[in-house]
Amino acid sequence: MLARSPIAVLVLLLLLPWQALAQAIEYSRPVETAPQADTIGGGYKTPEVQRPLPRDYWLQVFDVVLLAAAMGVSAWLVLKRRSRRWLMGLAIFSLAYFGFYREGCVCPVGSIQNVTVALTDPRYSIPIVVVATFFLPLFVAMFFGRAFCGGVCALGAMQEMVVLKPVKVPRRIDRALGLLKYVYLLLAILFALKPAIARDFVICRFDPFVGFFRGTGAPHMLMIGAVFLVGGMFIGRPYCRYLCPYGALLNWCTRLARRGVSITPHRELDCGLCNDACPYGAIEKMRAVRKDCLYCARCYASCPNEGERARARESLVTVGGGAK
Amino acid sequence: MSRNVTRRVAVTALASGAVFLIRKAHGQVVWQVNASRCVNSRLGEVGVEACNLCTSSCVVALSAVRAVNEYSKCGRCNICPAYFNIASAVDEKGLPSEKLCPRDAIARKPIGKQDPEDPANNFYEYVIDEEKCDGCGRCVMKCKEPLGLGSITLQVRYNRCLNCNRCAISTDCPKDALEQVPLPEALKPGEARPTV
Repeated sequence: MLARSPIAVLVLLLLLPWQALAQAIEYSRPVETAPQADTIGGGYKTPEVQRPLPRDYWLQVFDVVLLAAAMGVSAWLVLKRRSRRWLMGLAIFSLAYFGFYREGCVCPVGSIQNVTVALTDPRYSIPIVVVATFFLPLFVAMFFGRAFCGGVCALGAMQEMVVLKPVKVPRRIDRALGLLKYVYLLLAILFALKPAIARDFVICRFDPFVGFFRGTGAPHMLMIGAVFLVGGMFIGRPYCRYLCPYGALLNWCTRLARRGVSITPHRELDCGLCNDACPYGAIEKMRAVRKDCLYCARCYASCPNEGERARARESLVTVGGGAK
Repeated sequence: MSRNVTRRVAVTALASGAVFLIRKAHGQVVWQVNASRCVNSRLGEVGVEACNLCTSSCVVALSAVRAVNEYSKCGRCNICPAYFNIASAVDEKGLPSEKLCPRDAIARKPIGKQDPEDPANNFYEYVIDEEKCDGCGRCVMKCKEPLGLGSITLQVRYNRCLNCNRCAISTDCPKDALEQVPLPEALKPGEARPTV
């Protein structure tokens, strides 16, 4: 026994380095510099490296034009035509295009962070398209109110579709929750102001619906999105009213607007049906609160006077059409 | 009246903000992997596991980051440490028996003047199949000095990249290697931006 083990060890010692050689090569790099075509010979040509290009620039500009146009249409449909049906059509289009086709990026909501960084970090490059995306809805809000929220914002449209049986949130709770969006806005700005290595775009990271738009996403974010959608059946547009940081900015801009959704005893009835129809708590004492109004046109859709007018319009159209 | 004045002031303020930003804005801005920061390609870190966050973090199903072989910098070695698993057993042809790429995305073919006697004397071209590569970075890690010449780097393929406002990879990247640069700068072949 004792005699055998040293032999075994000896055999192993002999085998080991040999085995290691058989297992893998002793690697050393054969060249010090890259051989070029003339060294390689045989008519060899160094091939081009493929560099795929991003989406065409004019398409990005087109997105901004479409954003502006959609806001114009939204304002016209709500303020002039007072048509909820057409507005819903616009919302479906926006959800399909800005949401599912463009996969939710870049949106004015998230651009808050880019603008913050661009204002403070000279090394940061911001595309013109993003600057325009950020400012356009704010300008529109200063004149016509939150036209962006109504038929254009994909996040809003998503929630607009699921409003099923909205309950009236008590005014005081509604106000208190509404303050959250200012906190969120402040947090988003603070996180965007951090130095590049620690910077975080929290609005985009915690975007509840972008996961649906892209068909992939972190499981917890998809869960949160689902909670918002289910909750949104009973509490109208919870993200828009209580969390959306861009909503906070639009809210401020809208305070200056000369025009906007208005409910007047002159054109409407003061019957209070609109009050019951508004799922967003934006009608107080039978008058529209423009800074909270999300441009859904439900108040007009519920108004008997408006219905009368619409029917009159339609009958005129049919009479005119029938005469031909 | 006063509200009109306030609005005029606010509109002017907002407009001047917009003008200020537009003047310093760039046309098109894209994400780029800074090779001098990326763990897989930056010098000095050898023998560690390749970082595959570009594969796992990207929101696109097949990551928008892929490995690119800059042919003009490639050594065209007979035994490429990025193509072969050089720790694997040698087969009858004297080459390592296993490949490094888990998705078999790299193709190897002899190029130039052939030496019929000794295939080890030939140059080889290594082409990475874009459709197969998911940017796991293993080959990038092996290609860099001292084993290789560092011709393979991770790069963003802009036809896949959604240009997310907040690139998911950039948030996870331990070295902050993903940065937003104007497009012309990103398309300069094989140049890494200096680390700041």
